[in-house]
Amino acid sequence: MVKEECKALLDALNKVTACYRHMVLTIGGTSDSQNLREELKKTRQKAQELAVANRNKLTTMLKDKTVSKEDRAEFERLWVIFSTCLEILEIDMRRALELGQEFTLNVPKRHLIQTGMSGGTSGVAARAMSVQNMKYEADHNIDVVDLKDLENEINQVGEMMYEMEMKVSVPQWTVEAKQDPGAELKSTISVGASSIGMISVEENKSFCDISKVLAGIIFTAVLIIAIVLAICVVKLS
Amino acid sequence: MTISALRQGGNPRIQLPCLAKMERVIVSMQDPDMGIKMRNQRLLITIIPHAMTGDALVSPFPAESLHLGNLIVKHGYIYPLKDPRNLVLRPDESPYRFQTPYFWTSSKWPATELDYGESFPIPIGSGTAQENYNQLHKRINHTWDFVVMQAREQLRAAKQRRKGDRIVIECQEQAYWLVNRPLPGALNLMEHGPERRNCHTSRVQLVSVYAGPSGFTACFSSPSLYRYIKFNEQYVPHDPVMSGCLPSNPWITDDTTYWAMNVPTVTTPTKLRVERWGFNFSELINDLLGRAQLLEFLKKEFSAENLSFWEACEELRYGEQARITEIVDSIYQQFLAPGATRWVNIDSKTMERTLEGIKTPHRYVMDDAQMHIYMLMKKDSYPRFLKSELYKNLLAEAIIPPETKKRVFPFMRKQRHSSPSPALLLPLGEQEAKAEDKSKGPPTSAPVPEEES
Repeated sequence: MVKEECKALLDALNKVTACYRHMVLTIGGTSDSQNLREELKKTRQKAQELAVANRNKLTTMLKDKTVSKEDRAEFERLWVIFSTCLEILEIDMRRALELGQEFTLNVPKRHLIQTGMSGGTSGVAARAMSVQNMKYEADHNIDVVDLKDLENEINQVGEMMYEMEMKVSVPQWTVEAKQDPGAELKSTISVGASSIGMISVEENKSFCDISKVLAGIIFTAVLIIAIVLAICVVKLS
Repeated sequence: MTISALRQGGNPRIQLPCLAKMERVIVSMQDPDMGIKMRNQRLLITIIPHAMTGDALVSPFPAESLHLGNLIVKHGYIYPLKDPRNLVLRPDESPYRFQTPYFWTSSKWPATELDYGESFPIPIGSGTAQENYNQLHKRINHTWDFVVMQAREQLRAAKQRRKGDRIVIECQEQAYWLVNRPLPGALNLMEHGPERRNCHTSRVQLVSVYAGPSGFTACFSSPSLYRYIKFNEQYVPHDPVMSGCLPSNPWITDDTTYWAMNVPTVTTPTKLRVERWGFNFSELINDLLGRAQLLEFLKKEFSAENLSFWEACEELRYGEQARITEIVDSIYQQFLAPGATRWVNIDSKTMERTLEGIKTPHRYVMDDAQMHIYMLMKKDSYPRFLKSELYKNLLAEAIIPPETKKRVFPFMRKQRHSSPSPALLLPLGEQEAKAEDKSKGPPTSAPVPEEES
């Protein structure tokens, strides 16, 4: 069914946009690296391909006069989601350009901001590209070389959005949301609870207390075991 | 499609200068040799690097660094780990961390409602959060589905990262939204008064930072603050409100001598006025009398055409639109043409540019040349003018207006300073009160013998 295909394509674009934003968050921090820049490049190219595919599919469906009224409403809703997704993608691409220009790697005097991130983003990139492992093949100055391509791609996306606006007239405010408020909170509460719990817990603990408490407990336990063993030895002998 | 100012290529937004400066400070603090000492933050089993304590941030200049650090924390470049809602810098053991560049406060990238919606799975408060949530749902209803989908995907993407990084990301996002959507009652940084829109044209340089050898050092070496103080010190004796005006204040005594003596075209200038010509070149050239004296001086030095050229350019800039081509032509003929009678000495590049510009004359075509000549006069002729005999004579001849005469009979006396300037009231205190009672002026005037009629 065409609707399912459209939905699947849109989900894919959504996933890639979310991963892209995750990666843009890391630029300039301590886990920034050439690999990250390569991941950014690959992810956004994938996002653009998906965007073009989405656009073609949705425009054909919206131009088709034979679709029923509910189908048409559904396609319009998907169109609004698609255009918002593309806007977010464009904003993130612009930020990536700006941050990439500010924080070029390989410059000896330029230090990255110590944000506390230590892990890499290869997992996120693999999820975006739908592969098991990421392969890195670019040269070591991709951060500078890539910026030109990024500018061109931003312009392309901008033009695409402009064209879309001109050709398809779907007023955003006519679309009704399908999800009620609070829907996503219920579904993601299990995902978020563990890390949120972490944040509230960390507020009560100071820097190094935990290790001291643990050490004390272990010491006391060992002491008690030693005393018990000694008593047993005395009793049995 | 929402209208985004970025896309239309309209006026590109510029980063507020204060934010740009803070960013430079943050970047310079990252230097491993000269920056802050980092520690690890321990949370049960996860260890997250790059945390620093408040007192490491402010030593060794506590007073200035504390204020600067507070500003940085309020603007979200550093966030507290223990008490995230309280954006203050405490100079003790409380831990802080740097914010990632994506979340730096920026006037170029305002925080959108969409992003705000996606951040909601993190509870910020209970009562107000629920209200905000419902309001947000109403506002972005048409994109609500997208918000939900995107939020879910972002959480799933976050699962691909290490535990420590996930926690850091959440803290960062929370800090970002605390700055950009402040809780009710908290300071809202993004509020601009109507007059603040022109901040990108201001060139006030208030802070420059030097990273000292023993950690983070901030010096308020503020050249413009210094200059402001100097300006005030220099001009205080010349200000009629602060230092009293000499014959008498016309608003109080109904005696208009003060105004008569300070008219632009008076024959003998007052001493204060002549002194002011020595403060800087713009005072001299903007005062009609001063300009005339400058012209006399330049005639002696055979460079009077500079001043005439400058005056002609001013006429062009501020003159009538209909006469512009005519004025440009006359300037060219008089001052710029190769064999002109009063040829001015401009360097070749500026001359080329000006000659090019003359082909399409407009109001500002002579700007480069005028600036060149102005700077020439300022750097060259002005210091000589100040040392010249002409100026010294002017100073000697300038008059200090006497204070208005006191009448013999008490009922004829007009109170000269019936309500003395409030600035004088405070330091002199009782003396003022006594002087008022006796209806005499305060003893601050220049020492001139008073005549009794």
